[in-house]
Amino acid sequence: MRPNRIFRTTGFRLAAIYLGLFGLSVLILLGVIYWITSDALRQQLSVTIEREVAALVEDHQSGGPSYMAAAIEQRLASGQHPTTFYLLLGSDGRKIAGNLPSLSPRDGWQELSIPRRGNDAGGDSEDSDERQFLGLGTVLPDRAFLLVGEDTFRLVEVQEAIIRAFGWAFGVMVLLGAIGGGLLSLGFLRRIDAINRTSRAIMEGRLADRVPTRGTDDELDRLARNLNEMLDQVQALMESLRQVSNEIAHDLRTPLSHLRQRLEGVRREARCMEDYEGVVDQAVADTDAILKTFTALLRIAQIEAGTRKTAFSTVDLSSVFQSIADAYAVVAEDRGQTFATSIEPNVSVWGDRDLLMQMLANLVENAIRHTPEGTQINFSLKFGNEGPIGIIADSGPGIPAEAREKVFQRFFRLERSRGIAGNGLGLSLVAAVADIHGFAITLADNEPGLMVRLDFAPGACG
Amino acid sequence: MKILLIEDDPETAVYVANGLKEHGHTIDHALNGRDGLFLAAGEFYDVMIVDRMLPGLDGIAIVKTIRGAGIMTPVLFLTTLDGIDDRVEGLEVGGDDYLTKPFAFAELLARVNALGRRPPIATVETTLRVADLEMDLLKRKVVRAGRRIDLQPQEFKLLEYLMRHAGRIVTRTMLLENVWDFHFDPQTNVVETHISHIRSKIDRGFGVELIHTVRGFGYCLRAPE
Repeated sequence: MRPNRIFRTTGFRLAAIYLGLFGLSVLILLGVIYWITSDALRQQLSVTIEREVAALVEDHQSGGPSYMAAAIEQRLASGQHPTTFYLLLGSDGRKIAGNLPSLSPRDGWQELSIPRRGNDAGGDSEDSDERQFLGLGTVLPDRAFLLVGEDTFRLVEVQEAIIRAFGWAFGVMVLLGAIGGGLLSLGFLRRIDAINRTSRAIMEGRLADRVPTRGTDDELDRLARNLNEMLDQVQALMESLRQVSNEIAHDLRTPLSHLRQRLEGVRREARCMEDYEGVVDQAVADTDAILKTFTALLRIAQIEAGTRKTAFSTVDLSSVFQSIADAYAVVAEDRGQTFATSIEPNVSVWGDRDLLMQMLANLVENAIRHTPEGTQINFSLKFGNEGPIGIIADSGPGIPAEAREKVFQRFFRLERSRGIAGNGLGLSLVAAVADIHGFAITLADNEPGLMVRLDFAPGACG
Repeated sequence: MKILLIEDDPETAVYVANGLKEHGHTIDHALNGRDGLFLAAGEFYDVMIVDRMLPGLDGIAIVKTIRGAGIMTPVLFLTTLDGIDDRVEGLEVGGDDYLTKPFAFAELLARVNALGRRPPIATVETTLRVADLEMDLLKRKVVRAGRRIDLQPQEFKLLEYLMRHAGRIVTRTMLLENVWDFHFDPQTNVVETHISHIRSKIDRGFGVELIHTVRGFGYCLRAPE
């Protein structure tokens, strides 16, 4: 993994932005602490100086300049205030007392610096060759000048300590932030790369590959799981598509090759016009059968697409059942079968009349076509506990239990039905129609025979 | 009959036009919607055969336009799209019939003939008569040669359709659509069974057969010549 890829990741960028903002707030915090601390310390220094000045001025008032000078000398000698500086100039400008060199008298607060004198008291700041101090100059009533100063090295020391502390903290923060951001991005990149590798592999044809998951239930794991589920679905769809195309190819190849054989045969063997005509008629019939299969497939696909749902309306189910009964009762009876109907009037359902007609026609035709003479067929519509129920039952050979699911698949035909004309799409269409209407179809044993039960419950309103 | 064919597929157009010419019709052919509309609006035709999918202006738009202009010529839609949605849409804009490609020529011919000789909508017939067969539409009574014939409601409907199209071929599909409202192809011989039933009632025992089977195409109810 190239490092610049890490810098380009979202994770790293987020970490950098976060680090920047955090750094900025730390800097502001530093500024505030620095300012408040310095101010407090300076305040403290000023108070000390002011008190000293006040004490000395009192000395001057009570005892005159010499008394004050003596007080200063005494203070210096005592060594109790090693950080305090004094300067007393007489009214003529001469230095009378103090440990500071002569200065031009100036009233008020001032920042001063004096050259360092050897190993001074409280000298932590040996690296600097000047001592900084804060002084308060006072011109006394007799034109004498008093300056009291306090060394500011404590203040500087504290300020430096604050800056050092923050410097370290800041450095460590940047370092940790960069490492954290890097690791975060690296982990993120690894997992994204796993997803990318998988998608590449799938594009290259390894359809069974899946994105690795870690079971942590974080957002990437969830993404990976969703991707895997999507891939499973896509694969299932592709499988079914492949299966359907195979079935179509297989089921249409047979009639097409028959057609071809017939045409080739007549070319080779035909002796007269009648031979040709017979085969051409047969060829037209073959082609029609193939087209019929295509139409049935297209129709199932159209129904499964569900676009018809927008055209649904209330359908008089009783009249649909009646129409089917009117059309097929005679057909069944002509085949020597008994066709009994029992249709509850005024039952309606939400759906598409044409599709319902075709669904029922297919079911009734199955009962008629796949059963022998003498079969009893019952066709009924009644109210059940949960809604209308349609029954198409026959006393024929029935469908073995293990095949009852399969009969709804495209092109599936029972072995014994092979001799009966048909394309194996009738029940697929029934399933598709029931599916878009939300009806339930159950195939059961009629003992003997087959019973198809249609539950119209979900869409019923009659 | 003078027929306008609006069809953009040259092969289908030639197939349809030649077939119709053989049966004595005059054909004008337009290859696209604009030319078709121009002809439809400018000339008189007995029937128009209109492809639904056309370059430029589609069949639905053409029929909408000519119906808007008050031209009531019967229209037969042709299409490669199947499905009832298209059929309904076609009939809603004023089409009279609908045929899905690929179709048998006989089917097209039968439908064109049925459309071309439609009686004007205004005439309400109460009695249909073919030779000695008579149908009273109000009393729902059928009589042949003075003998009363009892028919089931479905049989009555079937015979009525045949009598309304007397002398013309009606195909199996036309019967399925118009008598049973079946817009699909059943796998059993529904039509044949019912025809044989009414045949046994109206033809058997009368010497002259009125219902004739046109092999492979359909049926024709006609008076003996």
